[in-house]
Amino acid sequence: MNDNTQRIEQFRAEVADMRLRDPATGLDRLLVKLGVVGLVTGLGFGVAAWFISHGTRNPLQQRDALVVAVLGLTIAVVGGALFVKGAMAQFLRFWMARLCYEQQAQADRLAASLAPPGNGHDEHLARH
Amino acid sequence: MTPLVELRGVCAAYGPIEVLHGVDLALMPGEVLAVLGPNGAGKTTMLAVLAGLHPLTGGDVFVAGRRVNGADASDLARAGLCLVPEGRGIFPNLTVRENLRMASHARRSAAQIEVAAYERFPRLADRRRQVAGTMSGGEQQMLALARGLATDPAVLVLDELSMGLAPLVVEELYGRVGELARTGVSVLVVEQFARVVLGVADRAAIMLHGCVVDVGPPHEIESKLSSAYLGG
Repeated sequence: MNDNTQRIEQFRAEVADMRLRDPATGLDRLLVKLGVVGLVTGLGFGVAAWFISHGTRNPLQQRDALVVAVLGLTIAVVGGALFVKGAMAQFLRFWMARLCYEQQAQADRLAASLAPPGNGHDEHLARH
Repeated sequence: MTPLVELRGVCAAYGPIEVLHGVDLALMPGEVLAVLGPNGAGKTTMLAVLAGLHPLTGGDVFVAGRRVNGADASDLARAGLCLVPEGRGIFPNLTVRENLRMASHARRSAAQIEVAAYERFPRLADRRRQVAGTMSGGEQQMLALARGLATDPAVLVLDELSMGLAPLVVEELYGRVGELARTGVSVLVVEQFARVVLGVADRAAIMLHGCVVDVGPPHEIESKLSSAYLGG
């Protein structure tokens, strides 16, 4: 066993200073859930505002309904954006993994087609 | 002495299927620890958990004495825990030089990284402008190792270095790992090719069905390997 005390001490210091975060996947799921809740709540506000404005002839109450409707619209838009962001993050993650895998497979096929059959490339390299 | 890396009762799963059932393992400073086991034993998952690439479902991971459950893989890598993954993990459509420059997230400049890599693996210098995916398996593995070493790791984690390579190339690569260990870098290596890795290891462990079943000096582990693999 060998020791490289200086590097190990530096490593210990860096790990000690490291900021620990929650795993990103948990945050993504939470954002998607919040987005769905926001979307549904916002639409609910809109429907409620319609009933409020149609249930009265009082202009003040109708203006309150307008405020509720705009609030609902805002919540729905923000919720929708959160949902799309979370859903896209999950989709893009798989898309990127698939792209990396396909690139690797393509490079392997290219290498196989360029190498002459049975030349034992690795053995040749090891001898030199 | 405090372990540099320690897994305590680590459990991990893929969806509903648990693949690590309470792994206990410790890597001491400056040590080469080989983890041996058959396909499906959970070796690669254990390394992924350690490197912050796969979430735990139970237990704790300690790095440099600190509990790092849920730590980001990039933070661990920046601190000095370097994983050379199974299948090399190089960018096949980039050149050797460009692949090496990917390691410049560490404290070194691209030029310094290249100099160090070519000094260690002169064959890569001849191929610096070659697209990495067109090199032989041995050269690709050298590139993966060189890129990992360019980050000046304190802990080097190697996953199946020998995969798909000729025995002579495997011996050459493990020769480099042995040289590196002599400089004081702690190495955790997971391998199926037991003979070569036991030659450079200070300690070895056998992993079966998601658990570490035995840890000891390489000669002891070597004698227990066949019975462990065959379930005798």
